[in-house]
Amino acid sequence: MPDGASKVLDVQNLNTIFQTRSGEIHAVNNVSFDLEEGELLGVVGESGSGKSVTMMSLIRLLPSPPAEIRAGKVMFDGLDLLKIDDDKLRDIRGARIGFIFQDPMTSLNPVFTVGFQLREPLMRHMGLNKKQANKRAAELLEMVGIPAASARLKDYPHQFSGGMRQRVMIAIALACDPEVLIADEPTTALDVTIQAQILELIKELRQKLGMAIIWITHDLGVIAGIADRVMVMYGGQVVEEAPVRELFKNPQHPYTKALLKTVPHVRGERAERLEVIEGQPPILGGAPTACPFRERCPVAIDICARENPALHVTGPRHAAACHLVAPAREEAHV
Amino acid sequence: MFDVSQGAKTLIEVRGLKMYFPIYAGVFRRHVGDVKAVDDVSFDIYEGETLGLVGESGCGKSTCGRAILRLYDITAGSITINGREIGKESQAGLRKLRPTMQMVFQDPQASLNPRMTLEGIIGEPLLEHTDMDRTQRRARVHELMDAVGLNRRFSNRYPHEFSGGQRQRIGIARALALNPKFIVCDEPIAALDVSIQAQVVNLLEDLQKQFGLTYLFISHDLSMVRHIADRVAVMYLGKVVELSARESLYNEPLHPYTKALLSAVPEPDPDLEAAERVILQGDVPSPANPPAGCNFCTRCPAVMEICHREDPAFREVLPGRFVACHHYNDMNVSNETADETGS
Repeated sequence: MPDGASKVLDVQNLNTIFQTRSGEIHAVNNVSFDLEEGELLGVVGESGSGKSVTMMSLIRLLPSPPAEIRAGKVMFDGLDLLKIDDDKLRDIRGARIGFIFQDPMTSLNPVFTVGFQLREPLMRHMGLNKKQANKRAAELLEMVGIPAASARLKDYPHQFSGGMRQRVMIAIALACDPEVLIADEPTTALDVTIQAQILELIKELRQKLGMAIIWITHDLGVIAGIADRVMVMYGGQVVEEAPVRELFKNPQHPYTKALLKTVPHVRGERAERLEVIEGQPPILGGAPTACPFRERCPVAIDICARENPALHVTGPRHAAACHLVAPAREEAHV
Repeated sequence: MFDVSQGAKTLIEVRGLKMYFPIYAGVFRRHVGDVKAVDDVSFDIYEGETLGLVGESGCGKSTCGRAILRLYDITAGSITINGREIGKESQAGLRKLRPTMQMVFQDPQASLNPRMTLEGIIGEPLLEHTDMDRTQRRARVHELMDAVGLNRRFSNRYPHEFSGGQRQRIGIARALALNPKFIVCDEPIAALDVSIQAQVVNLLEDLQKQFGLTYLFISHDLSMVRHIADRVAVMYLGKVVELSARESLYNEPLHPYTKALLSAVPEPDPDLEAAERVILQGDVPSPANPPAGCNFCTRCPAVMEICHREDPAFREVLPGRFVACHHYNDMNVSNETADETGS
């Protein structure tokens, strides 16, 4: 890890489990990562890989029970977010850590105007009165590119199109100038041309406001275009972590390699046949005792069924959790 | 792979297809307008090919696929399948034709009856359309399960016991049961994880080779369509704006909308990502109230004055390349196919 850049968020050994009638489900297992100031960290994984649960755990958004954060530390500005009391957490959530969800229709309240929903965090966290909040709300809508912003404050969410609704969500998340923005599949429900607009907007806002962003997605294309660093998750674990170019050019984990080969391209070479990752994603259950990818892994060896590999450093800021990644190289970089 | 230039036989011929959904309003529920979901669409599908139909949500691509199978009573136009006109056929008459044309749906969860076993689901078309007895049906179900890569032992299980990818295989097996010639695949991989999508697409390709199927592959995933389709049609607001062979469409798109659409697809390669990108402004207009002139004139980066007045015709401007855009008004292919297949 290069010195100098300071960490805004430092997550260590996060473990989240769900209590169900058929036993415990270990959804997040020993996940550790950090986020530097102004950085965009992409988190890639398939459904059930634990990417959303990890991020929800960070700011304790999961209902408990059934969810239970069993171990871990989430350091933010000297505070452990998992330990502080609810009041303190509420001052941070929505103010210093913003959240954008996948589906803007279900995360906006249909019975309140957009203006009301934008004013809410401003009045709660910034202590503005209604008039000031209204002014700021209009500025925010304008910033995210909604035409006739001040007139549209009186509109309800259903009066906006999908792309515009996602812009409103972004405006709400950015209302209090957060240091960290967590975006959970923010463009998945949108069409490609609208997705391109939103990605462009995020790039612009990053330059202007300089917040650090965690961007969760299953779309490798989006990641390639927007992320500085990427974390790949599989079966509730981080399997690989690297700067974006490094990950796409020099993937180390067999899952990352296979994933990159299985997606077709719009430009460049067209393969006659798609490469396939055989089998199904793992069904999560008790604490993992083996590599979650072993059953689908083309290069699995005996030890993979006995031992869950830890993350090995394989290069500058590059780590992969695989028994076949030579740990000998570790010394050279640490 | 399939080659269009070899004078392939036309299996499906769609001419001037319109599918309007009426809007009623007021106390007397008067007919005040129409949602023009599919508005004057014409194209051919050749035997053995895969025609990709792409577009954004709400452009009418699914409605178009369903209308071709006559799951709706169409507003206007003609649909010919294997030389037989079905545009005006009654639903009772269509029943006899159903075995040749089948559909694979987007959501494998919603399109499988949760109370039926796998054997019941895959065997239902056989029960309905053939006079096979129970043993014969079971044998055929097992054959189909083998073909789509499902273990025969699972034939007494229920849909909820399967994963998304496996459920989609069940849907495909059901569509194959009656040896169809033509299958409409409506976003068959949209609900699946990335690593499962490739499995299902490869299966569809294998089955096409094995049984000589013709597909209409509806999808919003442009990279997957590039992989599976031989020719591609692009829809925008109820109209097909461009139709070409796959390589020419992706390498050298003609219509400004196709250009913008392709450039908006994020490429999983950080170096390619830096490439110039056309970003369309605004949203798609409502199909109940499309703009005057060309449907794309409100967002087109290359809009001209004529575009606001006149709706461009869908014409063959280069051999095998159809486009509806005023920019290509002076280009023409002076052979018979242009008159035959243009709308």
